[in-house]
Amino acid sequence: MSAFLTYLLNGLAVGCAIALIASGLVVIHRVTGVVNFAQGTFAVVAGLCMSSLLGLGLPHGASEVAAVLAATVAGLLTGLAAIGKPGVTPLSSLIVTLGVGVLAYAVEIVLWGDQPRSAPGLAGSVTVAGARIQTQYLLVIAVTALTFVALALFFGRTYLGKALTACASNPYAARVVGIDVRRMGLLAFALGGLLGGIAGVLVTPMRPISFDTDVTLIVNAFAAAVFGALTRPVVTLAGALVLGVAETMAAGYGYGSHQLEIALGLMIVVMIVQASRRTAISQEST
Amino acid sequence: MIKLVAGALVAAVTLALPAVLDDSALAVYILLGLAAMVTVGVSLLMGYAGQVSLGQGAFYAVGAYTAALLALNGVPPIAGLVAAPVVAAVFALVIGVPLLRLRGHHLAFATLAMQLILLSLAGQLEFTGGDIGLQGIPQFGVGSFEFGSAAAYAYMTWAGLALVMLVTHNVITSRPGRALRALATSETAAASSGIPVGPYKLVVFALSAAFAGLAGGIYCFYTGYVAPGSFPVLISIQYIVMAVVGGLGTIWGAVVGAGAITLLVQGLDQLASLPGMPSYAPSVLSYAVYALVLIVVVLFLPHGLVPAIAGRLSRQRNDPPVETR
Repeated sequence: MSAFLTYLLNGLAVGCAIALIASGLVVIHRVTGVVNFAQGTFAVVAGLCMSSLLGLGLPHGASEVAAVLAATVAGLLTGLAAIGKPGVTPLSSLIVTLGVGVLAYAVEIVLWGDQPRSAPGLAGSVTVAGARIQTQYLLVIAVTALTFVALALFFGRTYLGKALTACASNPYAARVVGIDVRRMGLLAFALGGLLGGIAGVLVTPMRPISFDTDVTLIVNAFAAAVFGALTRPVVTLAGALVLGVAETMAAGYGYGSHQLEIALGLMIVVMIVQASRRTAISQEST
Repeated sequence: MIKLVAGALVAAVTLALPAVLDDSALAVYILLGLAAMVTVGVSLLMGYAGQVSLGQGAFYAVGAYTAALLALNGVPPIAGLVAAPVVAAVFALVIGVPLLRLRGHHLAFATLAMQLILLSLAGQLEFTGGDIGLQGIPQFGVGSFEFGSAAAYAYMTWAGLALVMLVTHNVITSRPGRALRALATSETAAASSGIPVGPYKLVVFALSAAFAGLAGGIYCFYTGYVAPGSFPVLISIQYIVMAVVGGLGTIWGAVVGAGAITLLVQGLDQLASLPGMPSYAPSVLSYAVYALVLIVVVLFLPHGLVPAIAGRLSRQRNDPPVETR
């Protein structure tokens, strides 16, 4: 029983990290219609930055914030490449973000080498109802909860957030009332970088990060975002938690080598079920 | 007339090259031909059927493993080589039925996921040899004649490429080819004109898989071993880069794109292995080149190299340049 609870809590923490990356994917897709393939890269950049900064002797806190800022800048640059030029279709932008992700490989190898890097997080563990769980995992869950609350407040209560939502629901109408859709798109990319950065900073102490970790991260995040049809953050959060728990349970009960297949198989099934519920016309018009 | 002469010239140079190249240059020549074979399929799928596949490397792998397994179990190599594209196409038909309900980025991710699953399985299963893969694949041969030299493989590769290009050409210029172009623009409009959208997409998907499978089959006989590490996700991205660079939906574009990228990466590899360069230089340079070429071409040459050059030439010859946006 306590093993089950441990797996459940660990799974929730893994799911939270996926949810953060996936929410970045959702924010960018809602506003710009682009699926950002480089979303996992932001997490990798933040994780690697953090490990370097901590290695240089910067205190905790400052390193994390700097790393998240670096990821935000990476997000903004990706946005400039993907949607900076007018008249590029979302599918072309997807291919551009793919290119940005590969370009990031080159930069990351030059700066950090090709070996996995780790960083110390919160030490120690607590016992919850007979289940031992590392403090870092609790931290991940807490930060994710806070981030989602902040996101909800940002989109629901601030002028900027409302403008972003306006671009998401009807870009033409948003332009008519004087919202610069392209600037909002860039803002969405920066926000996506920020969210990916937070995820990277939280994940690096749980598992070592190397330059090509981004494929696993983006595939998991996309699988989670697919639950919410790439537009609904709350469903995405639920999807990510289900995914994280399912993967951790699979690993815990001895199917660890099939972790990836489970996530990917689940994603394909969900996408096909969703696609069969929509008509071709509604898919082509969006 | 010009087309005929150019075609004959290209054929002559293609046939003459294996005789004059040394072994290391021949290796590049063979890999170039194999890459072009897969890229023609990608170009057909993306340019004509409008479907993005990020998992073309999976079909390459299926072809290679099929041929390797058959050859290792004593089946004549020629049967293995025939089986490679067939099995890849059947595999594509089976997974295509559910996957092709997806569109755009959904399909891109689903095909990527398919490749990751396949690689993971190949790395774990007994009969595929796990992470080590399959080794000691016999040389290709027909009857008692055995392929001993790289030049023989070069001829086989380029004969395969010629076959692939011929099939593609015939598909494109046929009635189904026009139907494909229609469904790439709008599936709804195509369906309402009486085009069987689903079956057509499936057939093109299977055809592109067969091309990749054939290339995979030749690859396994040439190198003598296959392992999951030979088919990374990057290889699928590489085919996209080649197809986009050359120009989607053009047969020659795929060949030119594959050639340009292969030679560029090869040249940079030589540069990176010069003394004094850091050990990570080859991978960094090739990643950077793939990425930059892909981004620049998608943004500034959206139709690719071949259509852009052809357009410029015909404009120079005929009328004053038209300002296009």
